[in-house]
Amino acid sequence: MWQQFAQKILNRLQLREAWVIFFVLGNVMINFPFLRIFNQPVSVIGYPVLFIYFMAGWAISIFVVYLFTLTLDEPEAAEQQEEQA
Amino acid sequence: MTLNIFHVATIAIAYTGLLFLVAWYARRRCDQGRSIINTPLIYSLSIAVYCTSWTFYGSVGKAATTGIDFVLIYLGPTLVAFSWFFLLRRIIRISKESNVSSIADFISLRYGKSQLLGSLVTLIAMLGIMPYIALQIKAVSTSFALVSGVTARTIAIPGAESPVSLPTGLILALILSIFGVIFGTRTLSSTERHEGLIAAVAFESVVKLISLMGVGIFVTYVLFDGFEDIFNRFRLQDPDHFYRLFTLDTSVGTPSIPSATMLMLSMGAIMLLPRQFHVMVVENADISHVKKAMWMFPTYLFLINIFIMPIALGGVLLTGGTQGADYFVISLPLAAGNEPVALLAFLGGLSAAAGMVMVESVAISTMLLNHLFMPLIIRVKPKPWFPLLLINLKRVSIFLVVFLGYFYYRVVGDSFMLVNMGLISFSAAMQFLPALLGGVYWRRGNKTGAIFGMFLGFLVWGYTLLFPSFVTASGDLTLLLKGPWDFPLLRPTALFGLTGMDMWSHSLFWSMLFNIGGYLVCSLTFSQSEVEKDQVRRFINRFEIEQLEVHTDIKRLSKPVSVQQFVALMGKFIGQHEAQKAMTAYLKGRMIDETESVPEFELPTMKRFVERTLAGSVGAAAAGAIMDSYLSDMGSRMESVYDIFSTVRASLSQSREALYVRLKASEIINRTLDLQTIMDELLQLLLKEFRLDCALIQLRKNSDHPLQVQSYQGANRRPISPEHWYLESDAYVRMAMVDQKAHFSNDLSLLNEIIPVERTRAEGFVSFAHIPIYREGEESLGVLSVYSKSIVGLFTEEFISLLTSLSGQLAQTARLVSEMEAKEKERREKEQAQLTNARVMRDMEIAEQIQISLLPAAPPELFGIDLAGRCAPAAHVGGDYYDFFKRDDHTLDLLIADVSGHSVGAALIMAEVRTLLRAKTGRIASPSAILGDLNSQLYDDLTRAELFITMFYARYNTATGRLSYANAGHNLPILYRDSEAKCIELDADGLVLGVLPSVVFEEKFISLQSGDTLLLYTDGISEAAEPDGELMGLERIYQHLAAVSELSSNGIVSSFYEMVQDYTKSSTLQDDVSMVVLKVTT
Repeated sequence: MWQQFAQKILNRLQLREAWVIFFVLGNVMINFPFLRIFNQPVSVIGYPVLFIYFMAGWAISIFVVYLFTLTLDEPEAAEQQEEQA
Repeated sequence: MTLNIFHVATIAIAYTGLLFLVAWYARRRCDQGRSIINTPLIYSLSIAVYCTSWTFYGSVGKAATTGIDFVLIYLGPTLVAFSWFFLLRRIIRISKESNVSSIADFISLRYGKSQLLGSLVTLIAMLGIMPYIALQIKAVSTSFALVSGVTARTIAIPGAESPVSLPTGLILALILSIFGVIFGTRTLSSTERHEGLIAAVAFESVVKLISLMGVGIFVTYVLFDGFEDIFNRFRLQDPDHFYRLFTLDTSVGTPSIPSATMLMLSMGAIMLLPRQFHVMVVENADISHVKKAMWMFPTYLFLINIFIMPIALGGVLLTGGTQGADYFVISLPLAAGNEPVALLAFLGGLSAAAGMVMVESVAISTMLLNHLFMPLIIRVKPKPWFPLLLINLKRVSIFLVVFLGYFYYRVVGDSFMLVNMGLISFSAAMQFLPALLGGVYWRRGNKTGAIFGMFLGFLVWGYTLLFPSFVTASGDLTLLLKGPWDFPLLRPTALFGLTGMDMWSHSLFWSMLFNIGGYLVCSLTFSQSEVEKDQVRRFINRFEIEQLEVHTDIKRLSKPVSVQQFVALMGKFIGQHEAQKAMTAYLKGRMIDETESVPEFELPTMKRFVERTLAGSVGAAAAGAIMDSYLSDMGSRMESVYDIFSTVRASLSQSREALYVRLKASEIINRTLDLQTIMDELLQLLLKEFRLDCALIQLRKNSDHPLQVQSYQGANRRPISPEHWYLESDAYVRMAMVDQKAHFSNDLSLLNEIIPVERTRAEGFVSFAHIPIYREGEESLGVLSVYSKSIVGLFTEEFISLLTSLSGQLAQTARLVSEMEAKEKERREKEQAQLTNARVMRDMEIAEQIQISLLPAAPPELFGIDLAGRCAPAAHVGGDYYDFFKRDDHTLDLLIADVSGHSVGAALIMAEVRTLLRAKTGRIASPSAILGDLNSQLYDDLTRAELFITMFYARYNTATGRLSYANAGHNLPILYRDSEAKCIELDADGLVLGVLPSVVFEEKFISLQSGDTLLLYTDGISEAAEPDGELMGLERIYQHLAAVSELSSNGIVSSFYEMVQDYTKSSTLQDDVSMVVLKVTT
C-alpha cells in the first residue's frame, strides 16, 4: 500500500512541470509575504521560529530534490546511450 | 594568546604541499586513465567552491550583526538546484558540443560568436570580481594576523637589525597568484579539464567543511552546552538583540539588505560567477553528475551553515559585542586557548580563499586570453613561439586578476564587512543573467540587445555600487550626498531620486532595469544576423525539434587538403605535441591515413574538429577567425568553401543557405507543373545561390532513349552539338546514371587522366558534380550537372547532399508530370473515341434512314394479287434487299436479295444493286438474263469488297398467272398451294453473284393458281435460333405458312416476324429478316 503510493508519487515527480512548480513554490516560500508568518519574535522549545522554519525548510527542500533525482535514473541512462550513439 | 608566526607559516606551507600532492596524484591517475575526480561527489565538492572565506568568516560576522538573513545566500543556490535539471544540463550540453571555455565564450557564442560581447563579459567579470578577491585577501590576511599575532604588517626576523616590514596582503596575493598559475595553466587548452585543480578544490572543500564544523562543535559543545544552551543564554541576556537577530528587518530606510535582494543575488551568483560556470560547466566530466550534485551540493551548504548561528551567538556572548565578529571562528578558539582548533580554522579559511582565487583567476584569465588578447593576436601571422606567448599571457592574466583584487583590498578593504564586499561582485555577475537566460530560452534575443543591455547594466553597476565603494573608502562622502556637480538626481546611491533603499538593492534594481530593458528593446527592434540564427538553432531549437539526418552516398574524385596541414595549424596555438596528440585521438577509429590528405566526405567533420580544438584554447569566436586567416595565408584551395558555407563550419545542423534553397526549390516545384519551367528555374536558383557558372539537366524518355539536354543555364552556352565541351563528362554522367551516386570533382586539375576533361578545363571550369536524378528503387531518369569556374572544393558533403535531395525532388516531379501527361492523353483518346462513335452512330442512323427509303415504300397495286414486303435489319443497316418493279398493268418483277454480312459495305452494295436494277427496268429481259447481267456488272465490286450476293428474281404476269424465275443461290422461295394444301419449293440452278465473272442462270416457270401464296424470305427466318441453339428449320416455316395462308399478305408478314421473335425468345433480331409475300387472289 505504502510502496504503491510512494511509487505513484515518484512517477509524478518525473514530470518536467513538477520541477518548475517546485522551483516557483520554493521561491514563494522564502519571500514575503510568506516569510512574514514566521518572522516573529517567538521561540518554540528554545529555538526561534524563523530559525526552525529556515533550517527545516532547507532540509525538506534538499530531501525533495533528492526524491526527484531518484526518479531520474532510467531516462538519464537512456539519454546517455543516445548521446554516445 | 597567539601561535608563533613560524609555526603558522610552516603549517601553511605543509598544507600547500599536501594540496600539491593531491593535485599531482589526481593528474597521475588521470594520465593512467583511472580518474579519481570523475564522480558526482567530487563534482559536487568542486561546486562548493561557492563557499569561500566569505562563508567561512563573513557568514558568522553577518549572523552576529544582522542575524539569520545570512542564510539566504545559501538558500538561493539550493533553490536554483531545482532548475539544474533543465537549465544547467542544457548549458552543459551546448558547451560540450562547442568546447566552450568560459561564460564569456558561452554568451558570445550564442550571439553569433561576437567578439565585442565576449570582451564585454570579460571586462565585467574582471572588474566585478575585484571586490570578491579583495574579500579573500582581507579575510586571510586578517586571520593570519589573528592567529600569528602579527598585526602591524611587520615581521621581526630573528637576527635582522630591525623588524622587516612585510605586507601580508601582498604576500598572500603573490602566493594565491602562484597557486593559480601552477594549477590552472599547465596546458594551454582550457577545455582540457584541469584534473589537478579540481582535485585540489574538492579537497579544500572537504577541509573547509571539516574545519568549520570542527570549530562549530568546539564552540557549541565545548564552550557551551549545545544549541539550546547558547540560544537560551543569549535570550536571557539580551532578548531584544536575540529576536532582532532571529527576525528579518522589514522596515524601510534601514541600511540592512532586504532578504529578496540577497536571495536574488545568490541565485544569480551560483550560475553566473565565472568560477561557478567554470567548475559546473567547463570542468563537468559527465553530464549525469548533475543529477546527484542537485542534492549533494545543497546538503553541503546545509552542513557548513549549521553552526554559523551558534558560533555567532557564542561569540557575542563571550566577547560581549559584535566587534570583530567576522573572525569569531578564529578568535573564539584562540580566546579559549585551544590552538589546534584555531589553526584548523585558519587552514579552513585559507582553503576557502585559495580555492576560490585559484578557480576564479583561472576562469577569468581564460576569458582575458580568449576575448581580449586573442582578437589582437590573431591579426598577426602565426609564429612558432605562439604557444609560449599565449601560455605566458594566461599566467600574466592570473596575476592581473589577483592583483586587481589586492588593489581593491588596499583601497576599500577596511570600510566594508566581508559579506557586503562579496555582494558587490554578485551584483556584477547578475549583469550576465538576461543575456544568458534569454540566450538559452528566448529565440529573438539578439546580439545588439545583449551588448546594449549588458553594457548599460554594467555602467549602472559601476556608478551605483563600485564607484560609491571607492568613495566611501576615501572618507569624503560629499559626492554621495550631493551628487556630481551638486546634481541630486545623479547621486550614485539615490539615482533619479530613488532613496530609502540600501546600496545593493538600489544598484540591483537600476542595473537590472537598464540591462533587461536594453536587452528586450534592442532584441525586439533589431534583427538577428545569419550567424546568430544558426546559433539559436543550436541553443534552443535543437532541444525542441529533432532534425532528421539526411544520409547521402558520396563518391570521391579528388583529395585536396592534408592531415598534416591541419596539425600544423593547431600546433601553432596549442603546441605541436598537443596538436599531434589531439589529431591522433581524432583519427583513431576513422579511415583516414595520417600521412595522406583528408577524404572529402571527412572534410566537414575534420574542419569542425580543428575548430573545436582551437576553440578550446582560444574561444569559439577566435577559432573561426584563425581558421579563416590561416587558410587564406596558406592559399589553401579550401578557402572559398568558407565563403559559401561560412555558417556550416561549426554547425552540426543544416546551414541557412541549404534551407533557403530547399524552400525556394519547393516553391518552384509547387508553382507549376510545367517540367521545363521547373528545370529552368531550379537551375537558375542554383546558379544564383551557389555562384555556379553552368548547370544543366539531361533527361531521357525511357531506358531505350539516349540522354538529351532538357535545360541549360549559365555560361559557355553554344549550340549543343557533338563537339560541345559538356560531353567530355559523359563518362561521369553515365556512371552517375548507373550507380545512382553523385560523381564530382572538387578540383579538375587533380582529376585522373583516364577520363580527361581538357576542353572543360580550357573553358575555365575548376570543379563539377554530376548528380543522378532518380526515385528510390527506380532507374535514373537523368543527370543534373553543375560546373563552377571560381570555386575549388565547392562540393562539400553538405552541398552534395543538398543537390542530391533536389535531384530526388526533381525526379519525383518529372515522374508526376509524365504520369499526369499519360492520364491526360488517355482521357483525350477516350473522348475522341466517344466522339467518333457518336458520329458513326449518327451516320449509321442516316444510313438506316436512307436504306429504308431505298426499299419500296409500298407494293405496287395490280389486279388479282395481294403483295407485301418488309425488311428488318438486325443492325442499323443490313444487307437484305427486296424490290418490286411494275412493268405494265399485268407484269410485275419482284426480287429478294441478301448481301453477305450486315456491314455498311453490304448496305452500299445493296444500294448499287438497286441502282443497276432500276436502270434495267426500261428494258425487258428475262429474270435469268437480268441476274446474268447483274453478276457480270457486280463481279469486280463484290470481289474487291469480298462480298457476295444471293438473289431470287421472279416475274409474274397477272393475266396469265405465269411466274418465271431465276435464282442466284438464294434460299428457295416457298409456294403454298391452297388447293393441295402443300408447300412447293421453287428451285432453279444458279451460282451466287460475285463468285465467277460470267454465270448462266437457269430460268424456270410455274403457273400460279388462285389462293396460292408465294413466300420469298432470307435466311434470317430459317436460321433463327432458339436460345439453346436449335435452328428454326424449313419444316416450321411450311407449317406456319400453311397455318396463316388465309391471312392477308401483310398479316402473313407480321405473323412471321412474331414467330421469329417467339422462337428466339428475344425482341431483337439476330440477323436481318426480310420477306416478300405474294398472294394470288383471283
